[in-house]
Amino acid sequence: MSDKGQHHCKDSLSPLQRLDAYGKGLPVDRLPCVPIVGNTAARVLGVKVSALRNDGRALADAHIASYRRFGYDNIRVFTDLYTLAEGMGARIRVPEDETAFLDEPAIQGVSGISGLRPVDPYRDGVLPEHIEAIKRVVQEVGDEVPVTAALTGPFTNASFLIGAVTLSRLVLKDPAAVHALCRLSLESALAYAEAIFAAGGTPSLTDAMSSSTVISPKQFEEFSYPYLKTLVDHIHSKGRPATLHICGKTSPIWNRMADTGADCLSIDNDADLLDARRRIGDRVRLMGNVHPSAIMLQGTPESIREAVYQCVAAAGDNPRGFVVASGCSLPTETPFGNIDAMLDAVREIGYPVHAGFQQTAGKKSI
Amino acid sequence: MSDTSEQVLFTALSDAVLNMDEDTVQETAHKVVKEGFNAYQAIENGLVDGMNRAGQLFEDEEYFIPEILLCSDAMYAGLDILNPHIDRSLQRVRRKVVIGVVEGDTHDIGKNLVKTLLDAAGFDVVDLGRDIPSQVIVESAVEQNADVIALSTLMTTTMDGMASVVELLRQSGNRDKVKVIVGGGPVSQAFADRIGADGYASTAPAAVKLLHKLFQETAHV
Repeated sequence: MSDKGQHHCKDSLSPLQRLDAYGKGLPVDRLPCVPIVGNTAARVLGVKVSALRNDGRALADAHIASYRRFGYDNIRVFTDLYTLAEGMGARIRVPEDETAFLDEPAIQGVSGISGLRPVDPYRDGVLPEHIEAIKRVVQEVGDEVPVTAALTGPFTNASFLIGAVTLSRLVLKDPAAVHALCRLSLESALAYAEAIFAAGGTPSLTDAMSSSTVISPKQFEEFSYPYLKTLVDHIHSKGRPATLHICGKTSPIWNRMADTGADCLSIDNDADLLDARRRIGDRVRLMGNVHPSAIMLQGTPESIREAVYQCVAAAGDNPRGFVVASGCSLPTETPFGNIDAMLDAVREIGYPVHAGFQQTAGKKSI
Repeated sequence: MSDTSEQVLFTALSDAVLNMDEDTVQETAHKVVKEGFNAYQAIENGLVDGMNRAGQLFEDEEYFIPEILLCSDAMYAGLDILNPHIDRSLQRVRRKVVIGVVEGDTHDIGKNLVKTLLDAAGFDVVDLGRDIPSQVIVESAVEQNADVIALSTLMTTTMDGMASVVELLRQSGNRDKVKVIVGGGPVSQAFADRIGADGYASTAPAAVKLLHKLFQETAHV
């Protein structure tokens, strides 16, 4: 919106200018591009991964530095998926230089549910520091780039409260208990969403366990959809756009993901972008789906360029828009040159996608 | 004690596993024992058959993780009852698999699934659990005389642990004796090739097929 917005030296628009114009169908320099940087931001700042998790200033500095280094179109304040569950009592292990992971769920069985309380984001776990980070990022670069913060979906958070295997069994054996866990998780998510808004950011929904790799479309309908819909409605009530990411296989639930009202669906590499464009491209913006480890971590700049071309060939003309992105959060050790290669490929393709593009893209073109 | 009633019980076991009906599995298994029917066949033609059918529904995307977990609960409930009654002389030598989730990764749904389907496919599976150091995985495999090490991860940060298992196995001079297979979200065939693993499987049923292929066996019936 502001034409004073800073932009990356290789681009002529700031991310906010680009996204705004792209959304209105006006000319832009290139497609939006979001390599989903998580703890790689620690590498850009030159600190250990664990230095970010409970330090709002470091977390903000890392994401600002990473955004400035690469010039991508969205900052997502994120360290791991467990911050809400941790605030509700789950035990998280924080290795010195790797992404944190769930050590012990908050409760051991259904009888523990009554002892659970939703989080107070200004008090519990590392959430206060994450809120501080959002504020700082917004203050520093909020006039040029969207600032979002990861918000774990209720069904996924429920799995961290009681354990994924236990939750999976309860889905069939005790649906009421699953709903109780999802409701508590929803309350936590709404409280944190409120804090994210207050800090000037926008929640970005991520719901790994709702994947069709884990639960059936029917189970998604019962245990994920209603809670995600509530969160999307809430984000919309603040006049902000909602992005929904679900890992793994999602094609059986694309229609329902779109029915949540989400403006943008971020899809993983297990899904076929071309198929997504055909089925839901007139309803939602799509974002994806270069393989985070096989291509972004282990590939070369050339293989990344090729993967970007394939994605753009599949969905670059998506009626509701397309964001070139990794299928999921990037592994921490993704080489900087590979992230540069993703953005450079998007810059090279430009916008509108030029006539000779499809030949360059090879046989994957439509 | 006609052949028919034996077959009826085996079919009932298979159906009860498929239908996630642990109680019926237990009742039926007790009947098998009481009638003196062949426990080994009850496992193979009943429990394992049911688990194989469940695995097929999983591949066909009719069953998902929750269903497979309850099927495997039912299968194990039946195994607990029938295993003590197996005539040991009837058992063929089974390939031994040491399975685990590498250090720093506590996601074990995928690993549990692979373990269950390998159990059902007739492998002798030793489950080391989750968050296991590479050194421990290799030592256990050597100690147990394992034919296979199966490794799973959902985290990119722990993929290096898989590479170090292959390396430690080589250093211990046992690389030729033990096949290493890998799987999990961030892992790919290219990664498996790069670290020198013997194979990669993208799903639990694929892991079973992979091992059959590696040992050139026909599918276990």
